[in-house]
Amino acid sequence: MNSLIKSYGKGLTALFVGLTVVWIAALIVLPQISMVDRAFTYEDRGGAAATLSLEIDRAYQEVFQISTSLDDLRAEKEALSSGGSAASQQESVSALDPFATPAPTPSQGVNMLDPFAAPSASGSSNRTAAQIEADEAPLIAKKSELEAKIVTLEAKEKASTDTVGLDTSYSLKNFTEMSSVHLQVFLSTMIYALCVTVMAFALCYPVAYAVATATSKNKIAILMLGLLIPYAINELLRIFAWVMILEKNGVLNAVLDMFGIIDLQVGEGFRFVASNGAVFTVMVYAYVLFMVFPIYNTIDTLDKNQIEAAKDLGASTFRIHWRVVLPHAKPGIAVGAIMTFMLSAGSIAVPEIVGRGLHPDWFSQVIYRRFFEADSWNQGAAYSLTLLLACVVFILFNMAVFRVGIRDIAK
Amino acid sequence: MRGNDVILENLSMRFGDFVAVQPTDLKINAGEFFSILGPSGCGKTTILRMISGFLSPSQGRVIIGDKDMSGIRANARPTALIFQNLALFPLMSVRDNIAFGLEARGIGKKARQDKAQELLSLVALDGHGDKLPTALSGGQRQRVAIARALAVEPSVLLLDEPLSALDLKLRQHMRAELKELQRKTGVTFIYITHDQGEALTMSDRVAVMNKGVVEQVANSDEIYANPATPFVASFVGEQNVFKGKVVAKENGYAILETPLGKMLGQNTQGLNQGDDAILFVRPERLSLQEKPGQQNSLSATLERRDLEGPFVNLHMRAGEHPIAIHITNVDQTHQSLGTEQKLWFAAQDAVVMRPGELASE
Ligand SMILES: Nc1ncnc2c1ncn2[C@@H]1O[C@H](COP(=O)(O)OP(=O)(O)OP(=O)(O)O)[C@@H](O)[C@H]1O
Ligand SMILES: [Mg+2]
Repeated sequence: MNSLIKSYGKGLTALFVGLTVVWIAALIVLPQISMVDRAFTYEDRGGAAATLSLEIDRAYQEVFQISTSLDDLRAEKEALSSGGSAASQQESVSALDPFATPAPTPSQGVNMLDPFAAPSASGSSNRTAAQIEADEAPLIAKKSELEAKIVTLEAKEKASTDTVGLDTSYSLKNFTEMSSVHLQVFLSTMIYALCVTVMAFALCYPVAYAVATATSKNKIAILMLGLLIPYAINELLRIFAWVMILEKNGVLNAVLDMFGIIDLQVGEGFRFVASNGAVFTVMVYAYVLFMVFPIYNTIDTLDKNQIEAAKDLGASTFRIHWRVVLPHAKPGIAVGAIMTFMLSAGSIAVPEIVGRGLHPDWFSQVIYRRFFEADSWNQGAAYSLTLLLACVVFILFNMAVFRVGIRDIAK
Repeated sequence: MRGNDVILENLSMRFGDFVAVQPTDLKINAGEFFSILGPSGCGKTTILRMISGFLSPSQGRVIIGDKDMSGIRANARPTALIFQNLALFPLMSVRDNIAFGLEARGIGKKARQDKAQELLSLVALDGHGDKLPTALSGGQRQRVAIARALAVEPSVLLLDEPLSALDLKLRQHMRAELKELQRKTGVTFIYITHDQGEALTMSDRVAVMNKGVVEQVANSDEIYANPATPFVASFVGEQNVFKGKVVAKENGYAILETPLGKMLGQNTQGLNQGDDAILFVRPERLSLQEKPGQQNSLSATLERRDLEGPFVNLHMRAGEHPIAIHITNVDQTHQSLGTEQKLWFAAQDAVVMRPGELASE
């Protein structure tokens, strides 16, 4: 702090500190707090209450339908008793009806107006009053039965809103109520992310080693360019490029076709997309740079004489790496692993685009759906907090395994 | 441990168009302390790397103990290399560093530890085995590097300026230690340095290199007293250099006509009358004496006087020509500046050579 003041003066230092505090508060702490708050707030909206209100709505709808049918029957009955006047009345009804056919029969007109009318109402026009009453009786019975049901349901609903309702108390329910499907997705996502990390490491270590130990300056420049250029391209484009390659009628199948391994003409061809392999491949490609650079940086600081000294003392290539290069590169590997793991565990674009919904879900997709499709922000927050915790655990685990401190990682 | 002899046959190294080592033939004897001395960039390290197997020569071959090393990789050669920066493994304990070569050979833990202990005593580091190399002093690290190299019982130890990172006192101390270790172990040492003091004090024989060419191979006394080329003469020790033309020669001596008058010196290269020539006289061979009527008499003014302790360096000037004199700090050392002095050197202390490249130091 004092050194800051010394080198930048009081005003500028105050500005720095102020901006930093604002940044930390507004963009890191506040959103996190609200996220945590949501995660621990349990809102009972999906369960019993919702089912109840749905049932009540349905009952009301049915009651409405029945009463409409009853009205129709009653009208028919009146027409029968008042004779000829019924014809003109029915005509006026059909005139009102925009869907009326050019030569409507009276009953057809009624039918068009009321699609829910009981089938008996569409019978011949010369029905007797007794017949109509026979139709009426079961409907009336059903209606009263429904009305009784509504009363009990509403009572029940009232009771439940008083006790559970929109219970916004703090609880762990958002976490503990994770369904077994979601839990499975979470666990498999962790394993997938671990796989991606391991694959990225297996790919990056040799590359980083080769670049770091290359003697010719040109070679280093070319290798660096080769690594960097793909990352100048937008991530989505990079992912879509892979879709182009892996599509059923994509580049890879075309190449296989060219070599006569498959015949696209007769519809042969592998469906590479939407498989674990495809998602892994694209994800490794998408995040490989975050693994390469930390490892490259640490190996680059290794005194190359140590490699030669080990070789001179008779060490095999494996032993040179195991005893000299890897121990030195440990902080870089830890950083690379942490970054790759966190990025791939939280990746949503790759599983969404390459996975096509056919590949088993990534946990990030579940979180997205909780938020925006199931409209359950609290559960979404709880899930993302779970993911965050898993990543923190991974970081700590990494630091323990590689025996590196925060300080080494910061380097 | 036993040393092996090392033979370089027509060995040369080319990097693109640049020839780092000209074709060289050299025989280094078993159990010898052999130094390669030369200025920076003359190809010393390149030769060493060819012997150790990290570089394959463009031409020629290396033979160690009757065995042709062509195609044998570094980790399978009976050599061990000590790097200029030592290249200790910083994450391993001193003991593990020393035992690394044995570990690489699949030797069991117990045997490794015993051997490491033995070597720790050899280099007087008992009790430091569990420390990390960074916890040791420069000289101690130096000894760890030597112990680590000796652990694999090499028959040839290659040392690439191993003392250059140490301060002067320690360097002089380590010279004696290295020489003693070499004597104790009997391993052939090939020692690279650009420090003539190191080369002259420790070596049984010295090869002086310049621009990829080995100019002379001889023991230290021979190199100092009878340099074979102007480069060796001027690179090893200091010289007063006088350029001129041979005007006469008689029984092994030649008379040179120089801007400072006629001078007489040994004609080791058999120059003839009319040849261009250079005459070298060591500063300690010049004396502040007046020998009237004798050849090789000069007069010069004193410009600077540097007291080194046991001896005194006098910087004088004869006309435009700078002249250096070393005299022991016994008597007549309090010459006053600016006074004209008479100088003289004996003809057998001066060497006349064909003109050639001089060391630029
Ligand atoms: N791999 C290489 N590629 C090209 N030129 C090289 C290579 N290695 C060495 N050289 C050149 O060969 C020459 C000799 O190098 P070398 O390292 O043998 O010198 P040296 O005598 O050990 O010098 P120093 O005392 O500075 O270590 C130098 O001019 C150097 O630039
Ligand atoms: Mg060198």
